[in-house]
This record gives sequence, structure tokens and C-alpha cells, in this order.
Amino acid sequence: MSVASIQNLVVRYGAFVALNDFSVEVPEGCTGLLGPNGAGKTTFLKTILGFVRPASGRGSVLGYDIATQGREIRQRIGLMPEQDCHIPGMTAVQFVTYAGELAGMPSDQAMRRAHEVLEYCGLGEARYRNVETYSTGMKQRVKLAQAIVHGPKLLLLDEPTNGLDPKGRAEMLDLIRSVSHGKGLNVLVSSHLLPDIERVADQVIVVMKGQLRTQGLISDLKRIEGHPMDVELIEKCPEFISAAQRMGAAVEDLGHATYRVKTERTPEETGRLVFQAAREAHIQVRGLALAERSLEDAFLDVLGVTAPHYHPTGGFQL
Amino acid sequence: MAASPIADLSYRNYDGVLLPPRNRWWVIAKMTIMQALRKKSLWVFTALSGWYYLAMIFVLFFMEQSAASTPPGAPNPLNAYLSRISWKDQFLHGFGYGQLLFMLIALIIGAGAIANDNRANALLVYLSKPCDKRDYLFGKWFGVFLPLLIVSAVPSLVFYFYGAMSFREHGFLSDDPWLVVKLATMLPLGAAFHASIIIGFSSLFQQGRIAGATYAGLYFLTNFFTKLMTVAWMGMTGTSRHPGQGPEGAIALIGKLYYGSIDGVNIAMAKSVLGTDGSVPFGFPSPFQEVPAPSLFFSLSIIVGLSALAMYVAWVRIRPVEVVG
Repeated sequence: MSVASIQNLVVRYGAFVALNDFSVEVPEGCTGLLGPNGAGKTTFLKTILGFVRPASGRGSVLGYDIATQGREIRQRIGLMPEQDCHIPGMTAVQFVTYAGELAGMPSDQAMRRAHEVLEYCGLGEARYRNVETYSTGMKQRVKLAQAIVHGPKLLLLDEPTNGLDPKGRAEMLDLIRSVSHGKGLNVLVSSHLLPDIERVADQVIVVMKGQLRTQGLISDLKRIEGHPMDVELIEKCPEFISAAQRMGAAVEDLGHATYRVKTERTPEETGRLVFQAAREAHIQVRGLALAERSLEDAFLDVLGVTAPHYHPTGGFQL
Repeated sequence: MAASPIADLSYRNYDGVLLPPRNRWWVIAKMTIMQALRKKSLWVFTALSGWYYLAMIFVLFFMEQSAASTPPGAPNPLNAYLSRISWKDQFLHGFGYGQLLFMLIALIIGAGAIANDNRANALLVYLSKPCDKRDYLFGKWFGVFLPLLIVSAVPSLVFYFYGAMSFREHGFLSDDPWLVVKLATMLPLGAAFHASIIIGFSSLFQQGRIAGATYAGLYFLTNFFTKLMTVAWMGMTGTSRHPGQGPEGAIALIGKLYYGSIDGVNIAMAKSVLGTDGSVPFGFPSPFQEVPAPSLFFSLSIIVGLSALAMYVAWVRIRPVEVVG
């Protein structure tokens, strides 16, 4: 079942087309929304929220129509925006309580829940401080707290690790992973940072130039055609290569006594072939795993761009 | 973690009540008011804003006391005093003298209402919840309007009830039977005007202080202009002037220009609604003729038009996203 279903969406900012005939089904669970800067990720989130009116197309979120039921949708959605945002002159408790009341919670329950989620987000006693005195990492946590205070069914996170140092980034990703797994909360994380997405999401939607490029499980995206296997031996062994080749396998040396073995057979048969070749070469097998690409390679392949355009922490520069 | 006052720190979904996604403007208005109530200056200016009514109550009270101690047959000072004053003019003076303080209260509550949100990107928080631009704008406006209305209405009503109870036989109720209805029109219009103008200014800036300074600047600048017109008016309509004498056209023009300020717009509206040209405060005699009230239609058009313009500016300025291209 999908949490959001979008069909043929077109969004324009003047002459610029931000989303062009965009159709997607957002599945349950934690989904990464990937794409280079300017791909249309944030516009997609804003359209779901009703911030921008599509020129054409239709869609529904949690069963509510995006064109006519914006309020119902927003009551069931939590948004953690990319930009630094808070309500001035308030402590974190007041801010998150207020966010809960805006979402429709009675004030006493909003206050109780604000304390809970701020504790959960790791703000502890700092929750009694004015938000304007917070560090970037703390502001990110408050943004997450105000997004989840009313118990949304879908949480939209727009570049949640923006501006965080490595420790803060790791903590934020742990928090996101924690809320998005086994808590009944569907999460859509928009980012151009592949390691972030890989760490928190199970599936991805890839957007480029306002169009859907692909979507699916991360494990499926990383899979390599033909099920090759990576074999780690105790030491480099040319005899193993010869033995495997005699049995009809193609062997690629990956370095550090690791070889990628490709056959036309099933993964189980390839595994048996590997052990047979190792026995013939009198070499010990230290590791055997189904070979897969990195998400970065898979992503570059989907987008059809070359590696120099991507930086693991800085994202894409197209 | 064990030391935390909340024992269970794991995330649990909220499964309590969620009110229907309507009327969020009231939540916003309530928070605007709550934030304002924390400011001490608001309380100070609120206490000062009804000074004219308070002074008038003291004057009337002491007149009553001295009348009670007047020997039978001697001229009653209370009757002599009351014959000089018009009851509805006292409400005009109370409203007029309160204008500076109403402006300051509007600044305290409203200058940062939208400007500070602009600075902190707070609009994203509001509009990601089940609120829309109407809720946001009306909530902010109402959060300024309601305290202003209370601040201006409470002293007026206290004076009204004092007058109704103590001076009924001196024409307090019979002089203008519609006075309470007129007050119920004048006070909300005045509060709405200040609220709309300050919200409009607030939406234009990213700092409450700059929005406030701009509004205050406009207020004092236009008031200075009104003072100049007052001097010109007094010069032209002194006791030495006989009817039909002097530059009638210039006098009429000055009579209109006199209302060309934030205070002037409110006073013109108050005069029109109350149906009076006004008189000198505290019943003092005056050698000058009062600036006549403009027509009700004209003054209402100006006050409603300016308020609508300010709200339109705010409406245009409030955007959930930056639109490019």
C-alpha cells in the first residue's frame, strides 16, 4: 500500500518547470527521495503539503486529495523543513506545544507530548531554553520534535542533516532511523547525500530534472546483473583463477586477495563452483558474498552521470 | 538517561484527540496575545491609556462632593459644570487622548507579529500544520485587535457605567440614547485600524523593531502635520473672526487636512460616529471653534480603506514558498 500516489503532476514557477509529468507511488516505510540540487525534491514535498499549486496532474496523500484536502493532509503529516525555522521568543517546550496545538491537539496534551518528544529528540533540560540560543544541531532536533509532536502518519524530512557536523549528523540519522522503523511512522527523506539515505531508508525514489528516474528497494538498486559473487581468499592465488575459469566462470581480480566470480548460473551454483575451484587450488576461502554495487554507483548509473559530478558529502554538482 | 524525569524515552505514536482542522486562527491569536502579555511595557501603557476617563471621574466625583456640601439656595457648582460639558464629547476625548498609547500598545503586540516570523522562517511551521494564510493573517490581526479593543473599551465602559449610575438625571442617558451603540462601533473600528496598519507594516520587514520604528515614524510625522494644521486652524478661527469673514476656502481645506494623520483618521471616525464636532477637554471654555467632523461616509471609507490596504499588503507578503523564475 502506498502513502502517497501522484499522477502526471506538473508544477511551474513562472516559465521554469520544476516537476514535469511526475508520477510516483510512495510506499510505506522509510523512503529516500534522491536527486541532485534543483531536481524537484523540495517542490514535490511542497506540492504534497499544498504550498504550491500544480499546473496539472492529481494525487492523494494518505487517501486525501492534494488539490482539495490540504488541511486534512497537513494534520496527518509532519514537516521538518530544510531551512532553519522556529517561532521567535519561545522555549523549545513552548514552541513544540504550540506546534501541537496548531496541529489540533488540546493544549494540555500538546504540552505533555512536547516534553516527551523533546526528551526523545535528546534535548533534555535544554528544552526550557529559548530556541534562538540553540546550536544548529539542537535546532535540527527541535524541528524534528515539532514535526512529530502530533503523531503524524507521514513525516517529510527535507535535507535533515543540513549544516550538521559529523557527530550531529550521525545522531540525527540514528534518530530518523529510530522513528522510521517499527513505530508505525512512514518517512520520506529528501536528500542529495547518498550515505544519509543509505543509512536510514529501505527504498528510494530518484528524481532528476523534475521527472521520476527510478524507484525501488535500495538492495535491488545495488544488485548487479547476473548475480556475481565476491570471494575473499586467504592470499592471492592464480591457481584459483585458472580453476574457476576452467569451470566456465569469469574472474575479476578486485585486489587484496578478493575476486569477483561471474557465471551464467544461479548464486547457489556459483557458490558451489567457488568452493570446488578453491579445493582444486588448495586455498582457503575467507569470505563469500553476493556482489553488489555501492549506492553511489547505482545512482550514477540511474542518472547517467559520471562519478566526478558527485561528492559523498557535498552531493551533486551538475 | 536513567536520570531523566521521563522514564520511557522511546518514541510512541500519539493516538489522542486531534481537533478538526478548522479555526486555527484562534490558536495563533491566543499565542500572539500570550506573548504580548509577558511584556511589562504593555501593562504600563495599558494602565496609562484610560487616564482621561480616570481624570474625568475624579473631577466629577469632587464636583459631586462639593455640590453635596453646598448650602441650600446657593448656586450648585455641579449643575454649572455639567451645563458646559457634553457627555459624548468625553468619550471622544478619552478615545483621542488614548491614541498615542493605543499606537504604542499596537507596536508592542504587533510590530514583531509577522516581521519576527519572517526572520525566523516561522511561516513554514505554521503552514505545514492545518492552517492556511487566512488563519495565519487573521490570527495575527485578531491577536493585536483584541487586546487593543479591551484596552480602549474597558475605561470607556467604566466611565459609561459611572455616568449612567451617577448622572442619569443630568442627561447622561437621555442626551444621546444611542451612545452605547456608537461606542460599540467606534471602539472596534479604532482598534481594527491600529491592528491592520501595524500588521501591514510588520509583514514588510524582517525585524519587529524596524517595523515598529517605521510605524512610529509615520505616526509622529503625520501627527506633526496635524499639529501644524491645528495651529493654522486656530489662527484662522479665533474669537476676532466674524462669520463669513476670512478665507473660507482655506479654512475648509485645513479642516480636512487636520485629519490627515493616524490620529486624525481615528478622531475623524470617532467624531462622525459619535455625531459631534467635539469640545474642549474637561469642559473648559474655548475661544476657538472646533474642527468640524467630516461626513460619516467619508471617515468610514478612509478608515476601512486604509485598513483593507494594509491587510492586502500583508496578504501579498505572506508566502509559504519563495517563488523563483
